[in-house]
Amino acid sequence: MTFRPLLAALAVVALAGCAADPAPNEQLRLTRQALEQANAVGAVAEESAELKWAEDKFARAEADMAEQSYKGARMQAEQAELDARLAEAQVLTRKSQEQLNVLNTRITRLRKQLQLGEAQ
Amino acid sequence: MSRLIHGVSALLLAGAMLGGCATHPNSELALQQAGGDFQKVKEDANVLRFAPKDVIRAGESLARADRLSSYWGSGADVEHYAYLSRRYSAIAREHTEQGLNAERGAKLELERQRLQLALRESKLSSVQQQGKWLEEQITSLATQTDRGLVMTLGDVLFDTGDAELKNSANRTVLKIVQFLQLNPKRVVRIEGYADNTGGEQENLRLSRDRAQSVADVLVDLGIDEKRVQVEGYGDQYPVEANASERGRAQNRRVEIVFSDAKGQLGAAR
Repeated sequence: MTFRPLLAALAVVALAGCAADPAPNEQLRLTRQALEQANAVGAVAEESAELKWAEDKFARAEADMAEQSYKGARMQAEQAELDARLAEAQVLTRKSQEQLNVLNTRITRLRKQLQLGEAQ
Repeated sequence: MSRLIHGVSALLLAGAMLGGCATHPNSELALQQAGGDFQKVKEDANVLRFAPKDVIRAGESLARADRLSSYWGSGADVEHYAYLSRRYSAIAREHTEQGLNAERGAKLELERQRLQLALRESKLSSVQQQGKWLEEQITSLATQTDRGLVMTLGDVLFDTGDAELKNSANRTVLKIVQFLQLNPKRVVRIEGYADNTGGEQENLRLSRDRAQSVADVLVDLGIDEKRVQVEGYGDQYPVEANASERGRAQNRRVEIVFSDAKGQLGAAR
């Protein structure tokens, strides 16, 4: 984010012709947030392969950060973010389906009661 | 997009022929899969309706993967952006399903409310029918007098000299309770009467106690005390001459005077 790493990166690009990534702090923050959100809606790694991947990749991203392997960290964190968002969305879809099931059960019960009432 | 893909695949082919190392078979597969997923979501009108942003992101990531696939040694990056694209497509599908479920839920909720209302109405009408039936029963058991609707509980419902209501009165009392429950505004006055044998004070007490015991049963069965007045008249207001045993038996009685439907009760004697 600061001037110096950018300059350093530019220098590296100029020298070696290959891009050195800046530290993906913002991405890691986003990923952490996505993981928290997934947890908040009730996603758990034991039940969601996507969340498990998200957690594993996030752990690798943090390890990469420690080693200043920023490109790897960014890619792992980006994938982890979307894995977590997918896990969250899957839980919410399931919950919406469960709500529909509850409504359907109630409707069936009401219909039955109405039929009983008519039969009497 | 498809033109882009065509262009890119042409480039890929050229790259592969030239260098043989521009694409990784894995990255090509990843690109194909991501393209296939993206195609499906962008052709789905519901997805476009509920998750347009996710579709755009899936497209952007795919385009990026496409672009990168034309560079040498970019296999990992291509796979990465293809992965992100597929994730956005999958998220788009989830968001779409949620949106559709919300719509379905709103419809079902309306249906549920409609049915609930219908059920309530049908229950109400059966209660009204029941009420009508009970009213007929009560009317057949009671007589219309200038004091209002009056039901007489005869001497046989009490033991001689005893104020306790016998079990044989249960059916009648239950009908009165139901009737009062179905007509919550109606109130009753329970009037006790005795024959002229025995002392005046004794008769007054016994007539009042008998009326009270009927009132107690009503209250025990859930009728609000405020709706039940109790009077004891002793040997006053006989319905028959006290000369015969039959006449005296008819004079020993409890009368239940019903108010009209608005709760207006005729004045006490």
